[in-house]
Parts: sequence; C-alpha cells; structure tokens
Amino acid sequence: MMKTFLLLIITLTLFANEPISPIPTEVKFNLEKAKLGKKLFFDTILSKDNSTACVSCHNVFDGGADSNVVSSGYANKKGNIQSPTVLNSRYNFKQFWNGRARNLTQQADGPINNPAEHNMDAKTVENRINDSIEYKRLFKSVYGTSYISYTQVLEAIVEFENALTTPNSKFDRFLRDEIQLTKDEKEGYILFKQNGCITCHNGINIGGNSFQKMGTFLEYELKSDYPDRSKITNNPNHKNVFKVPTLRNINKTAPYFHDGSAKTLKEALTIMAKHNLGIKLEDKEVEKIIAFLKTLDGEKPKILEEK
Amino acid sequence: MKLKQLMFIVLGLGIISSIAIVYFYIIQKDFTKQHREFLLSVNALENANIDLEHQILQNSIYAYHNQDEISATINRVEKTYRDIQESEILNDSTYAQTKESILSLQKDISLNLQNIEEYIMLNAGIKNSLVFLSRRIDEATFLQNKDRDLFIHATKILKHFNDAKRMQDLDYINHNNFLIKSKSTDIKTQSFIDNFNLHSKYLINRYPIFMQTTKTVLNNDIHSYLEKLKIDFSKVALSDFKALDMFAFILFSVFISSLFLIIVLFVKYLKENKKLQDITASLEHSLSYDHLTDLHNRRAFEIQLQKIREPHLLIINIDGFKYINDIYGNDVGNVILQELAQILKDEFSNRPNTCIYRLGGDEFGILFNKISSENALEIAKKLEKKISNYDFIVYDLTLHLLVSIASNSTVPILENTDLALKLLKKDHTQRILEYNDNLNIKTDVKENMNTIEQIKTAVKNDKIVPFFQPIINLKTSKIEKYEALVRLRLEDGTFLPPYKFLNISKKSSYYHFITKTMIEKTLKMAKEFPQYRFSINISMIDILDAKLTHMLFETLNANPDVANRLDIELLESENLQNLQVVQDFITKLHVFGSKILIDDFGTGYSNFSYFSNLDIDLVKIDGSIVSEIETDDKKLHMLTSIHKFSNGMNMKNVAEFVETREVALLLQEIGVEYAQGYYFSQPLERPLEDDRVII
Repeated sequence: MMKTFLLLIITLTLFANEPISPIPTEVKFNLEKAKLGKKLFFDTILSKDNSTACVSCHNVFDGGADSNVVSSGYANKKGNIQSPTVLNSRYNFKQFWNGRARNLTQQADGPINNPAEHNMDAKTVENRINDSIEYKRLFKSVYGTSYISYTQVLEAIVEFENALTTPNSKFDRFLRDEIQLTKDEKEGYILFKQNGCITCHNGINIGGNSFQKMGTFLEYELKSDYPDRSKITNNPNHKNVFKVPTLRNINKTAPYFHDGSAKTLKEALTIMAKHNLGIKLEDKEVEKIIAFLKTLDGEKPKILEEK
Repeated sequence: MKLKQLMFIVLGLGIISSIAIVYFYIIQKDFTKQHREFLLSVNALENANIDLEHQILQNSIYAYHNQDEISATINRVEKTYRDIQESEILNDSTYAQTKESILSLQKDISLNLQNIEEYIMLNAGIKNSLVFLSRRIDEATFLQNKDRDLFIHATKILKHFNDAKRMQDLDYINHNNFLIKSKSTDIKTQSFIDNFNLHSKYLINRYPIFMQTTKTVLNNDIHSYLEKLKIDFSKVALSDFKALDMFAFILFSVFISSLFLIIVLFVKYLKENKKLQDITASLEHSLSYDHLTDLHNRRAFEIQLQKIREPHLLIINIDGFKYINDIYGNDVGNVILQELAQILKDEFSNRPNTCIYRLGGDEFGILFNKISSENALEIAKKLEKKISNYDFIVYDLTLHLLVSIASNSTVPILENTDLALKLLKKDHTQRILEYNDNLNIKTDVKENMNTIEQIKTAVKNDKIVPFFQPIINLKTSKIEKYEALVRLRLEDGTFLPPYKFLNISKKSSYYHFITKTMIEKTLKMAKEFPQYRFSINISMIDILDAKLTHMLFETLNANPDVANRLDIELLESENLQNLQVVQDFITKLHVFGSKILIDDFGTGYSNFSYFSNLDIDLVKIDGSIVSEIETDDKKLHMLTSIHKFSNGMNMKNVAEFVETREVALLLQEIGVEYAQGYYFSQPLERPLEDDRVII
C-alpha cells in the first residue's frame, strides 16, 4: 500500500517536473465563429488583388507554414521572413518572429495590412465583406448584426486559429502515459534535455514562450535585415533575437529558422548545436533527436474536417 | 398659514433629502467600487510581480524549466498594469498624483520585463554551458589517471562557476586561471581542453552581465513602489471618504430635522384637531341646544320629530311676554325664560319618551311619543296651574305669569299646534286648547294662500286698478274730487275690495308694486280729468318706508302738471312714534301743491296731537260716526264737535259713508264742507264727465 502510494507520488512529481506539457485533447471555442473564420481564412477576398488568403502562407493541412523560404503575397511580392506555423499558435506567448503582436487578433491584423501580403485596410475589408450576400447571411446568423465590422472579421479568424491545435502527438500520449516511446525516441528526448535544447524549447508548445538570440553561443551570420527583436526594443544587442519557435509538427514545417536556411532537420540541428549550444552533435545523436522530434507531430485539427 | 409653510418646508426637505440620498448612494457606491477595484488591481499587479520573481528564481535554480508560466505571468503583469491605468478612479482630478505615479511606473515595468527577457536569454546560455562543462568532466574520467592535475583544475573551475552562480558573487571567478592547458598530445585530451576552454571563455564573458541582470531583475523596486503608491492613494482616498462621511452626516442631519419637523407637524395637527373637535362639539351643541335655557332648540325638535312615530306636542307660550321685556327689560325676561325652562325640566326631564324644547322667543315645546290626548291635556292643565301659581322671583321682583298651552297630535304637528295656539291667544277665556280639524283655522290660511295667488296673477296681468268715488262739495253741489280706491280684478271680471287683499299684500313684496300702480294710474286719470282733484290712501307707517316715499316723489316729479291735484289721505297707524318723519313728508308734498287729509278720524287711534304736530289740510270724519248722526245724538254731537274743532284749526271736513239723503242734508245743515258715500255714488271705474250732483 505504502509502496503504491509512494510510487504514485514519485510519478506525479516526475510528471510535474517534465518541462514539456501535452496539448489538451479538447479546447473550447465557438464552433460557429470558428467555421466562419475558417471560410475567411481560406478566402482570397481578404487580399487586394484577390490573390492571397491566409492559407496561402499557412498551409494548415500540412504543418501550418509555408514550404518556401519566404512567401509570396500581393502582386507576387516576397515576404522578408520565413512563415511561422499557425498551428498551436494560440499557445505562443507572443506572435510574429519578433513578438510584436501581443495576441492572435493583433497578429491577424498584420498580414491583412501588410502591402507585401494582403495589402488591405479595415475599411476595404468591411466594404468587401459587406458586399457579399453570403457573408452577410453567415455573419447575421453568427453575430445577429446586419453590418459586418472589421473587428468581427478578425474575431472570427482568431476563433478559427484557436481551434487549430494538434493534440495527441505520440510524445503527448507518452507524457500522458498512454504509450511508450521507442528506444531511439526516448534517448533522443534525453539528449534533447541533456544538450540544453530544452532550456529554450519547453512548455506546451516546446518553444514559443521566450525570446532567444540566434547564435547565443557563437554569432550567427546576419545575412539580411530581418525584422528581429531589435526592431522592437531598439537594442543593438537584440540583433538576431527572435521568439523561440515551436517544435510541434517540426517535421512538417521545413525550411527552418527565420531565414529558412536549414532545409532539413539535420541541418537545423547542426546549426543550433553549433551556434546556440557550442557543441557538435554526433550523427547518432542527431538521428535520435530527430526521432524524438518526429514524435511531436500531432493530429490534424478537427476543425479542418468541418464543413 | 404657518402650518402650510411648515408643510412646504417638510416637503422641500423631504424632496431634497431624497435626491441627496439617491445622489449619495450613487456617489458612494461608485466611489467605493472604484476605490476597491483600484486597490485590487494594484494588489494583482503586486502579486503578478511577486509570482514573476518567484518563477525567475525557480528558473535560475532548475537546469531546465517550463517557461510557459513565466510568459503567462509576464502577460499578467502587462494586463494588470493596463487595468490600473484604465481605473475609473484615476479620471478624478483628485487622484492626478496617483495617475502620474502610475504613468511613471510604466517605464519601470517595461524595463523590468525587458530585463527578464534579457535574463532568460542569458540564463539559457549559461545553464547550457554549465551543463556542458559538467558533462565534459563526467566524460573525462580517463584524465584522472592520465592528467590528474588537468582534471582537478577543470573540476575546480566548474565548481567556481557553480559557486559564483549560486552565491551570485563574481569574486569566485575573480582570477585569470580559467583556461586549462596540457602538454599532452593526446587528441582526446586536447579536444577536451578545447571544448572546456571554449565554454569557460563564454561563461567568463557572460557572467558579469548575467549577474548584473539577475540582480536588477530580483531587486526591482516595483514592489516597494507599489506599496508607496497604495499608501499615497489611501491618504487621498481617506480625505474623499471623510468628505463622504461629512456628506452622510449632513444628510443624516437633514433627515433628522425633517423627522423633527414631521413630529412638530404631527403634534400641531393633533392640537388643531383637538381644537377643531372642541369647536365642532360646541357647534353641534349650539346647533341643537338653546344657549339661554340649555334646552334643545327648534332644529333639534325638527330632527326629533322625524324620528318618532306617534308625536304629540304641547306648545307653551307666555302671555304678554313682550310687555315683561318692555317693562322690566330683557335681563328680567331672560331670567324668567330660564326659570320657566327649569320648571319644565323639573317636570319632564325624567319622563320617558319626552323632550323639552325652546321653539322660539317665549315658546316652549314638550314633545311626547305615544301619549293619549286626554293624558296630554291632563299634563297641560297641571303644568298651566303650576306655572300660574309659581312665584317668579327676579332680583327683588316677584312676578306671576300666565301661559297658553296648545296641544296637538295631528300632522303637520308644529303647524297645527301653532294654529291652535294662535286661536287660543285670540280667546282670552281659555288657557288650554287641543287642536282639532273643526277649529277651521285652516280655511283662513287656505284663503290667504288663495289671495296671494290672486295678487300674484293680478300684478302679472296688470289687474290692479283704481276705482274712483266722487267727493261732493256740499255748498256748491258739485263733484270736486275723487278718492282713488284700489281694486283687484279677478279673472271672472269681478273685483276684490281692498280689505280682502291689501293687508295680505302688505306682507308680500307686491304691496309696493300695488301702491306704485295706484299712484301712476290715478295720475293718468288726473290728466284726463283736469277739472277734478284726486286723492290716494297712504298709511302713516308707509311713510317710514323710504323706498316707497322715494318712488312717490319720483312719480310726482315726473308729472309736475298733475302733481298739484293729487292729495294724500293719511291712514292712522298704531304706535306711530316719530311724527317728525310724517311732517317732513307732508312738507315735501305741500311743495307740489298736494293737500293732506287725516283719514277715518274719530275711531281707532285718532289722536289730537296730530293736529298740533302736522300740517293737515282736511279731516275725514269716520263713517261709523257719519252714518249714525241722524239716529244717534251722541254721534251727531261728536261730528259737530269735530267739525267745529276742525274749522277752528283752519281745516275742512269730509264726511264719508253718506248713504241717505237725510244724512246728506243734515251734514249740509251742520256746514260740513265735503261728503262722499253711496248716496251720491259708489266707487266708479272712471270719474264722471258731469260734475253736477243733486242733493
């Protein structure tokens, strides 16, 4: 009896001490709003030349990001940074690579107004949406108002994004003690912790909860003028400082880093070890860590199945 | 008036305090809510800040740590700070100082959060390098044999780094011996040295700024700043609360004073009410009681009469009470009334179903319910006897009274009893009379009512007409004058003589009209017959009626051509006191050329004093004398004497009621100047054209 109890205590303590927590299997959101947001998310009506939708750069069916180094937006203009994933973005402490948006609503406002992305403004969005008989009908049934405001448009998109979580990854299920990891995966996780990756990649999103300098140990080459943290803080020491990106579904979001310089996980790991940890990983170690990283692929968000 | 003012003041105070209470409630509620919310927000910020510090400490202790909590707390700090900034209470200018302090806090907070970001970034690298170093040493056990010094040095260096971090003291690494080296050419050893020194360099490089940042983060003075802010805020709030207290106190005072005023009003109301009740009671008493005798009054009698089923009334009236008042004065009269009331009270107040009333001046009523007429008469007799034997002692006087008592049980009770009493008063042989329908008293009343109705109709239809009886000059045998006599033409064409309606008309408003009609119509006739004089009858008492005399003189003024031929026959009246008024009237008439006659002289109140006081032109000798001069020597003598007296006073005589030729001749013989009567002519509707008469 005493043994069982002690075991329970120890298990709980260990579990509680794990620096990574699983994504809840169920998240609360307003389904009607989220469905409306989904329609908007997929609709090019939100870009000036009807070329670009949110989904253009955030492929929610596969990783939630863009496989191009930089995305193309309005009039085929190129972006200046690699598109981060929209999946599980609700768990990021701040949005954008440099964290300039406090929440998803502020984030959503960004690309819509960005001349290189949707190149729109609130008034135009309102006019466009209000001109649509279908949106009029949908918003009327969800909000009960006859005029659709820009705020409502953003709110609906955000509600959709809130529904974009990828629960039940192999690793989450391992954390919940539902399954076992393979030996390689498990050893990969331990290496992930031992080598200090965990220092920045922790929490529910395995990242996304702090800023860190790309090249904290060894300066990383500044290839271009990226919108990094220094653009916000005006601190020159914050060159190359970015929000630590999430590692969830990392297997699907290549290319990696703000500059999309790493095409594979192996490349990415090598660069990270060199510049941020000051170590050189052995091939075997890299393989094991990649095996672990692959356990972070979650289920597709249920909202994507909704019609 | 004062009460009304007081009421308005209370009302005003009530309204003001109601508004004030509502106002106070809102202000107080808002203020307390805002005050609470503000302090709660400040506390929330403090707590978030403490939590943050706590989590930072955790983060620095654990090699790896879930940073979600830290990022959540950072968001919490930012949010609670925004809440404070948006606190409603800061819109109040009183809290401008607090608002400023909060604005200046913004810099501190964002600086602190930046420092934390910085700290986390630095800490990650340092933690990783320390872990790396310890792993390297762990893996370099082969050195323990190969190069022990190197191994120990490396271990020491790691220890120093750990100590310096734990103690947060740079002194532990304040030396230059952080790079290890060896002369060994072993690749493994050299690789260890290279890796170790790489991270050592990194740590040496980063430690000072890391320590600095850690200190700044952990020693931020946001906490004490917030404490001070709370104290300053509470100081200002205290004065606000004091103002609220003051307001509440004033409100309470207003409330108490309106309460006090209401009590005053209420007491006043009670007093007024009591007064009113007393007045009502005394009014009610005086409404149904006679104040002199304290018996029930006529009103009470009428009310009681409605209530009882078989009423029987005795009315007791004091004979000649008027004379008692006249002779002894009203005081004595009043005492007698009180004494008599006392007798009645003694007699009847204990008798069941019996009430005593003072019905009028000297009239008392005893109202029985269910009593036989015999019994009532018996009581009346007993009472009459008792009163007539009673010595009324007033001051030094002993008076005896006689009373008349009328008894009646036939409705209408009061009217019938009154009629019986009136009849009784005329008959001095009886003291007690019971009403019965055979008394025939009612026919008079009926006739009177009928007459009034006739007068009314006649006045309306202009049926009051003068008849004219000629007055003959016995010396010339010519009609010289006509006496106008009033007649009332009935609908059937017959005429009512004056004695049938004139007296009754005097009690109505028609008398005045009748007199006016007579004057106007007589004057009209006088215009038609300029050869005659005319006379009309006016009683001396009429002269006192200013309206009537005014009307007469107006009419005369309007007809100056005939006024000098209109004579006035003055009828003597009872008790005419003020002869001067009559003389003034005569004087005025003389101006017009009218002549004045004394009518019916030799009977009634005929008074020789008239002749000395009044300018009389003619004396009309009463018919009761004239008609009998032929058969009664005394009457003849009276007539002769009156004639001689008249002549001596330079007055002429008219003899009335001349009904035979004999009387006319006798009058002519005596030398009486004028005569009138049926022998010559009855009254005519129009005077005769021919003035000659054959005697």
